[in-house]
Amino acid sequence: MFFVKSLEHRIDLHPSFFNSEATRYIEQKLFQDVEGTNTGTMMIIAVIGIDEISEPKVAPGTGFAQFNVAYRAVVWRPFRGEVVDGEVSSVVNNGFFVDVGGLSVFVSKAMIPPSMKYNAEDSTPNFSDAEGMTVQRNSQVRLRIKGIRGELGQMFAIGSIREDYLGTLMQ
Amino acid sequence: MANINTYDFADEEDEEDFNPQAEIGSDDEEDAKPVVNGGRRDDTSARASRARSEPKNDGDELKDEDADDAGVVGFGRDEDDEKADEDEEERPRGRRGGGDEEDEDDEEEDEEEEEDEDDEDDDDVQDQPSRKRRKRARGNQFIDVEAEVDEDDEEEPEEDDEMPGDEMHPDDLQDLDQAADRDDRKHRELDRQREKASQLDAEATAARLKERYGRQARSGGGTGAIVPQRLLLPSVDDPRIWRMKCRPGKERTILDHLNTRILERINSTRDPILIFSAFERGGGPMAGNLYVEAHSQDEVQKALDGISHVFHGTKPFLIPLEEMPDLLRTKKDKRLETGMYVRIKRGLYSGDLAQVDEVDPNGTDVTVRLVPRLDYGLNEDTNAPIEVDANGKRKRTIKPLANRPPPRLFSEGEAKKRHGRYLNKSSGLTNAWTYQGKEYINGFLVETFRVSAMQSANVNPTLEEVTRFASGDEDGTENLDLAALAATLKQSTATDYLPGDKVELFRGEQKGVEGHAVEVYGEVVKMKVDSAGALRGQVIEAPIKDLRKLFRDGDHVKVIGGSKYYDEVGMVVRTKDDRVTLLTDTSQKEITVFSKDLREATDSGGNVAGSKYDLFDLVQLDAATVGVVIKVDRESLRILDQNGSVRPLLPSAISNKLEKRRNAVATDRDGNEMKIDDQIKESSGEQKSGRVLHLHRNFVFAQDRGRSENAGVFVARHANVVTVAAKGGRATNGLDLSKMNPAMKQNGSPGMGAMAPPQQRGRDRLIGKTVKIRIGANKGMLGIVKDASDTVAKVELHGKTKVVSIPKEQLTQVDSHTGKAMGPAMGSSMPARTPMPAYGRTPFGASATAAAGGRTPAYAMGTTGGRTPAWKQDVGARTPAYAGTSYGGGAGGGQTAYGGQTSYGGATSYGGGSVWGGGGGGGQSTWNPNPSSRTPAHNPGNKTPAYGGGLEAPTPGFYGDHTTPGGFRGAAAAQQYTTPAAYTPGGQYPETPAGDGPTYE
Repeated sequence: MFFVKSLEHRIDLHPSFFNSEATRYIEQKLFQDVEGTNTGTMMIIAVIGIDEISEPKVAPGTGFAQFNVAYRAVVWRPFRGEVVDGEVSSVVNNGFFVDVGGLSVFVSKAMIPPSMKYNAEDSTPNFSDAEGMTVQRNSQVRLRIKGIRGELGQMFAIGSIREDYLGTLMQ
Repeated sequence: MANINTYDFADEEDEEDFNPQAEIGSDDEEDAKPVVNGGRRDDTSARASRARSEPKNDGDELKDEDADDAGVVGFGRDEDDEKADEDEEERPRGRRGGGDEEDEDDEEEDEEEEEDEDDEDDDDVQDQPSRKRRKRARGNQFIDVEAEVDEDDEEEPEEDDEMPGDEMHPDDLQDLDQAADRDDRKHRELDRQREKASQLDAEATAARLKERYGRQARSGGGTGAIVPQRLLLPSVDDPRIWRMKCRPGKERTILDHLNTRILERINSTRDPILIFSAFERGGGPMAGNLYVEAHSQDEVQKALDGISHVFHGTKPFLIPLEEMPDLLRTKKDKRLETGMYVRIKRGLYSGDLAQVDEVDPNGTDVTVRLVPRLDYGLNEDTNAPIEVDANGKRKRTIKPLANRPPPRLFSEGEAKKRHGRYLNKSSGLTNAWTYQGKEYINGFLVETFRVSAMQSANVNPTLEEVTRFASGDEDGTENLDLAALAATLKQSTATDYLPGDKVELFRGEQKGVEGHAVEVYGEVVKMKVDSAGALRGQVIEAPIKDLRKLFRDGDHVKVIGGSKYYDEVGMVVRTKDDRVTLLTDTSQKEITVFSKDLREATDSGGNVAGSKYDLFDLVQLDAATVGVVIKVDRESLRILDQNGSVRPLLPSAISNKLEKRRNAVATDRDGNEMKIDDQIKESSGEQKSGRVLHLHRNFVFAQDRGRSENAGVFVARHANVVTVAAKGGRATNGLDLSKMNPAMKQNGSPGMGAMAPPQQRGRDRLIGKTVKIRIGANKGMLGIVKDASDTVAKVELHGKTKVVSIPKEQLTQVDSHTGKAMGPAMGSSMPARTPMPAYGRTPFGASATAAAGGRTPAYAMGTTGGRTPAWKQDVGARTPAYAGTSYGGGAGGGQTAYGGQTSYGGATSYGGGSVWGGGGGGGQSTWNPNPSSRTPAHNPGNKTPAYGGGLEAPTPGFYGDHTTPGGFRGAAAAQQYTTPAAYTPGGQYPETPAGDGPTYE
């Protein structure tokens, strides 16, 4: 789910940057630092506004200035139970991986409808059932997130398509 | 028992006469109605003594509870319980036959019931001494008893009533009543009964009986509570226990012998055996001891007289009264239930897991299901001579256990091959066979074993073993009896629960209640109920045996024991009752374990504690071989070595761990650089793609999380991969605000820094020129430069046939014709020279030392000198806008020279396409059109103040290419496009949230 979230970020600035451009450096640095990062629970997609750049403090002993930047950002946070769409990145015999934005979701065989069987013989490994629903690489699927594990910098999740209205999206 | 019955029936019309208070009072010496007590006691003790002194009355046929009520067998039960527990071997009971079988019945009954019954029995037994005691204490009460014959009479029927009431069928009741004829009192009782019967119609009688029996069933449990345990202890009036010494190991034989003797003499009046019971306490420290319960030493000796193996030389030793209970103490026996798992102790199947199919009512035999170990006669030596023993019987050769066949389900096909004659199809059942006299149902051997031949404690079945039993059904459905398995496995599971664990009650009244543990003590877990309902929020106590841990799909869990998957971490993908399937983090494999072996994981790492090596470590195997750890087990590691082979290794076989070199750089197939964390793709073969884990010499270890083999790790030669996207640039992307401002650095040398020198490639311009030496020994001499390096020129002097090396600074170029100096000074005549040392290396310079080099935008950003601007500084090099930015504050002059110069135009990295050419995002960006960097349009852009000061996209071209607003952010946005792999779906996948247009904006 997407949210606008207020966040803070601290930026250290070398004294050589203390000039009229400093604010711009800070902003630019903020964009660099946070956009596209993954905190383990959410992904910061874009900074939509900087609320405040604090008065800098000089870090003792270094001369660096520390700015606390409060900003608002569009973040994406996947939730357990959320239904999302994604693209299959690979198919293995016990399930398949789906990329949902920056989140890699594994759909285990246990969470694939029993009617879908794994085929390794075809040109590309896939899961398919009699009705022609096929999950293979680059298929677009809709799935429900069953669990999320976050590490700093990356998230993993497992998902399920074993429900009505889940599975490959018809194109 | 008597008191209970009475107590319960107290409210009944016809039973009121029985005077229930008397019964309650039987344990209470200060009872208000001593008269009644006395009377009863007299009666009961008379019965008891009769029973004891005439053991023959309790013949082996007499199995009903009469014998029990007589109080004789009560002890037998106790001892029986003990024996059953402590002794592995089945032992005969040295009691009179009467109680023998029935006691075994008791064994198989529910423990609590057993206890209760014991209590009841003990109650009866105890009642005697206590009654005797009381009788002695108040001897004069006899008189009262005699006086109140009435009540006495009414006691009697109750006695009679309760006896049948205990175990007998109502029909037997009549028989018994008729049997009472022999007694005077029985007559009266009978009369009374008939009279009553005439009064009550049949229906009422039935109702009454039903009522009575129903109550009795219920009242069974209450008995234990009524009689205090201490009152059950033997008193001095009870028979004593004597110890006899015997030959160790022969105790059973002796008891058997004794048993036979009792049976023999049961009807003879001569030499009656007056002992009450005899028993032994099994092997170990108690071996060689035989215990006999009797009133006197003499009776003991008489009973054992002539029995061999008894050491008649040693006198019977009287066990002190206070030690008698200890001798008979029982430990609770583990009850066998259908579905439980046991292990066979001996024989062909020793150590094999078996599932209890049926427990015989007598509790000694258990029918179990086993996976048979059959060879179907394959190893049979058909030509072996049949041994005939002395009796003319064929001897069976016993197969050595060493080559016992592996356990496999019974196959009639195999059996038919050689042993068709032994094979019979059992009627009725679909898949039941009789083979060599044994029964096989659904492939399992169904065989009856003695309880003693099985081990029921510490069975610890593994899931593998259990699944053999589970898959027994023909249709392949799993019929794993989890409750039974759990019962077997539930050993000391208190330690498995921690406060905070999510738990679920799976049986009992509150089945289905979910909550989390708040406190664990003993075998009880206090849980706070989370599930909806009346209990929500309450803290309830639940026995551990009714609990199991609860996990939901997607929970991140760690295996904390119980299986070979110890310490694996993964996410739950499926839960079915007690079994949880999880997907391991490390190998993306699915494993199934019991929920009790799991705990919610907080740590995300899949590494096994205690191993020196972590997953994905690069390790040195020998001098020439390295490998990457792809699996860490408790004992061993799996290593993917540089040749692509996977080997399991002990940690000790690894010479050392190679630290990850973050800044390691290698070149790919196209000569582009490749660093750790870059996305690469194999240029041939399977075209695997992945993220670089390690770079070692010629080898690239990369990981693709989407692959399950080798934890997604693969190895390739660096020349066989191409970089898809560089992630390495990210960290150094843009302005590094924590370092010296490059713009400031420029200010240190105004005017010069701006003058990025023209790149001098190829032939030195000085070569072939006429120069004059300004300084030194050859001052003033003319010569022609034959060769030149950066700093030194070789000058062929006109005056001498000699070539000298002269520093370039000492030369002045002169006109070869006029001899006049061509410039005011060398510096001006050779403009490149002064800056040369500093700038000669500019963008393409191999060395990073030149401070001046840092003035080129690209260079300034870089930490490593070896890079071309484009290469090194993704952003700076590729975006003029950026270059402008960084230069904006500095002297602008530099850009003039620079912008128009070869560093851009000739930049090989651009030409080669490199990262940008190949990258999806990059390819569309400004940089795709390489020539554009040389177009004037860019250069002016660089120089315009507006440009330098602004973040906005500098060139129309740039702007136009970027349809996304990302372009606005110049460096930041563009950089993000540099790693398309990281955000793969972004651009191509509109449906994904992240992929929405502004996602990466």
